[in-house]
Amino acid sequence: MKNTIIKILLLLLIQRITNAQNINWRAFSQDQKHLIGVNTGLDYGLSYGVNYGRKLNTKLSMVLNGEFSLPSGNKVLEDFKVKMGVQLELIHSGNFSATVKVNGIFRRFENDYARLLNFGSEFATVAGYYKPRWYIAGEISFDKAIVTHIKHLSAALDNNPDLTTGWYIPTGGNFAYGIQSGMALGQKNDLNLKIGKLLNQNFKTEPTLPFYFQIGYNRRF
Amino acid sequence: MNKTIKLFLIITSLNYGIVGCKEGELSPNKAGLLVPKTVVEDPSLPSIKINNVLLHAEAFGNPNNPILLILHGGPGNDYRYLLNCKKFVDDGFYVVFYDQRGSGLSQRLNKETYKINDLEIELGGVIDYYRKSPNQKVFILGHSWGGMLASIFINSNLTKINGAIIAEPGGLIWQDVKDYIGRAFRINFTSEALNDIAYQDQFLTGDENQHELLDYKFSLFAAAEKDSPIGNEVNTKFWRYGSVINRALLDLGDKQQPNWTTNLSQYKTKILFVYSQNNTAYGETHAKKVSSAYPNVQLELIKDSGHNMISFDKGWQNFYPVAKTYLNTLK
Repeated sequence: MKNTIIKILLLLLIQRITNAQNINWRAFSQDQKHLIGVNTGLDYGLSYGVNYGRKLNTKLSMVLNGEFSLPSGNKVLEDFKVKMGVQLELIHSGNFSATVKVNGIFRRFENDYARLLNFGSEFATVAGYYKPRWYIAGEISFDKAIVTHIKHLSAALDNNPDLTTGWYIPTGGNFAYGIQSGMALGQKNDLNLKIGKLLNQNFKTEPTLPFYFQIGYNRRF
Repeated sequence: MNKTIKLFLIITSLNYGIVGCKEGELSPNKAGLLVPKTVVEDPSLPSIKINNVLLHAEAFGNPNNPILLILHGGPGNDYRYLLNCKKFVDDGFYVVFYDQRGSGLSQRLNKETYKINDLEIELGGVIDYYRKSPNQKVFILGHSWGGMLASIFINSNLTKINGAIIAEPGGLIWQDVKDYIGRAFRINFTSEALNDIAYQDQFLTGDENQHELLDYKFSLFAAAEKDSPIGNEVNTKFWRYGSVINRALLDLGDKQQPNWTTNLSQYKTKILFVYSQNNTAYGETHAKKVSSAYPNVQLELIKDSGHNMISFDKGWQNFYPVAKTYLNTLK
């Protein structure tokens, strides 16, 4: 029991502080347990990211993963996002595979008017056709901004001194849907691509940049 | 149940549970926390009721003097950044400010109820509210969208306005508006300004009429102003932006492709049309194009200023004498 609790706490910790690289389960060989990668693309801005994944020895294929990304701009670390989570291959039948992903998210945003710190979560399903050398899949996900700490900064307080700093809940959520694909480069490397559309949780309005796009490189070892 | 799935579910539910159990949280929908209260929530604010909509409004000077009605930009901004215009009281004008419906501290309406024509009717209602006699002259000073609204009103009411100062309206036909917006909001894809606008969309999302949250999000866009080609000296002061009316009127413009110049050739009174030196998205070419809808135009460049030329010291110092001279010739 004690070991189980420790395992859960460790997994929780990992889930809290790391996400979701694109994985071709069929490309993993028996001796490959780790996945590291880099990516760039459009993610509410021009974004750059690094990711790590650890494949577990479980009956169903399962990977704990983490991702750190930040948008382009001249103020490094003013805005960034950390995702940590787990992905589990729920269905594997022939070349068909379906995976669920759950990620905890911590993200930061700052400009002259406010600093936002957000805890959120992302739930995604990916299903498609997977071969050892390539795959193509559809993806749908929901990214919930569960609670956001809003600190009003000097430009905002100069305008309105009575604004209230604190934790705001709930603050938002966006759906994403699209396709992803990848190909193996040799025995250890993958190149992958995903592209899709973003939609606010009310299904009516869109974010300022209503599309996402990511090209990534992963190395398995 | 498979042990792996059990483990997955435990981790997931704990993850959601911890995040979801914050205490002392605030609601982004509660008035006054993220953005100031409007006249609906705060009766102590000065207001007038026009066509059943409560508007934040103030007037300064002798009520019997010629009226100078100040129209703010946006759509959705407020009149705070135009308060330098109180100076015209000293020149014998009754200076009237109001936040248009859905803007500033005025009452919010649902997106589907906004019509461009209603803002024109509202403007007429404000004039009627403050006008003491039929002989009292009425002048308009409209900035940006306010200049467009002034022109919309004049186009439909050729005899009601005794003179107008029009400052950098986006356009008076929709294509000109679109062209100007395209230039004014051109943002480098790798810039901090893009983050200032777009990155927040994963933190805050609002329903179509969730005014407090949407107005707050809109206010965060203001951080990109300093990197914009519109050339303002510093960030502009404001109370509260109206996000919903901004989106509603832009959508209506795209849908209706309006032309507000159809009768302007019959408006023979000279207008003062001003544009700023530092707004590289505007410039003399666009100023001449837009102002050409009026037959009698005094076109003036306001030096050392950006789009919000009335707000900041240098712009105001160069704008005020020109505006004062113009108004005094028609008063």
